[in-house]
Amino acid sequence: MSPLRGIALAGAVAAAVLATGCAEKTRYGDARAVETLTNEFGSTDLQMMAESMARSMSQAPVIASANLPVVTVQEVRNKTSEYIDTRAITDSIRSELQKGGKVRFAVDSAGMGQQTEELKRQQSELYAKEQAAEMGRMVGAQYRLEGNIVSIVKQVKDTKDVYYKLNLQLWNIRNGLLEWSDEKEIRKTTTRG
Amino acid sequence: MKAKWILTAAALSLAAGCATQKGFEVPGFAFGCPIGDTKVSSMDDLVKAKVVSEGRRSNVQATEMRCSKVSGDLLRIDANLNNDSRSVKRVSYKFRWIDREGMRAWEEEAWKPLMLYDNSNLVINTVSPTNKAVDFRLIVRGDE
Repeated sequence: MSPLRGIALAGAVAAAVLATGCAEKTRYGDARAVETLTNEFGSTDLQMMAESMARSMSQAPVIASANLPVVTVQEVRNKTSEYIDTRAITDSIRSELQKGGKVRFAVDSAGMGQQTEELKRQQSELYAKEQAAEMGRMVGAQYRLEGNIVSIVKQVKDTKDVYYKLNLQLWNIRNGLLEWSDEKEIRKTTTRG
Repeated sequence: MKAKWILTAAALSLAAGCATQKGFEVPGFAFGCPIGDTKVSSMDDLVKAKVVSEGRRSNVQATEMRCSKVSGDLLRIDANLNNDSRSVKRVSYKFRWIDREGMRAWEEEAWKPLMLYDNSNLVINTVSPTNKAVDFRLIVRGDE
């Protein structure tokens, strides 16, 4: 074997070994496991916040004592320094409350466009008049849910500390009274080394 | 003389029986928590019946548990966790909700991480997500 051919062969063997070593492996995991991959807002934070808030809100007198009050979800303002899809938090809260059978939700401003579009579509000549959804039958919400999420981030050398606070409020639309409010705090600290 | 001793012993055993029954006013409940047909005569029995330990063995143990009804038909639970070690311990926990037929009343909850200082107690509390949940288990998992 010529030296050149030997080098090529050794290179091919090394490449094959490297390729095997770097082979990707994908496995399914537990979507509800504690996730501590990074210090940023993650799935565990979202799940804990949504669960805590939904359980707290279900005990609010206006929810517990009323017969399926109608709520609309407004914005949860992201006042943190990172990107957080706050809609995912309110969607989870809404799902938990809806499943618990305590609350009904009215279409919110984000879904209003699609709702009115569908109503208008059903008013067209394409649909049977007797089965089409009528205009002027939508139910207005009695309460609106809104809130803020804030964070305080501190970093010293190899330690990074992140504190999140989600505050939600349930406002009575008719009289402007604050009917329920609660907070959920989370602290995460990452140390390098 | 012998009869006097027998009477005293009977009175004492009756008193002891009353002591263990204290707080169990409603049949099928102990310290406010649903127990069904399980024999529960002390807080330790209740904790054994309701708490499931998973994962690594930890110094964190549930020591007390109390329940009550809130908002009419929801179950509120307070559970005390104790860390009897000299170091900070981390565990995760979740509640499992069971309906009248013994089936799952709610989807599996997310694990909630918890930090307990050395030689300390921490009370965790929750409320059942639905009135279909009439029983529960507290699952505690050692994380380290």
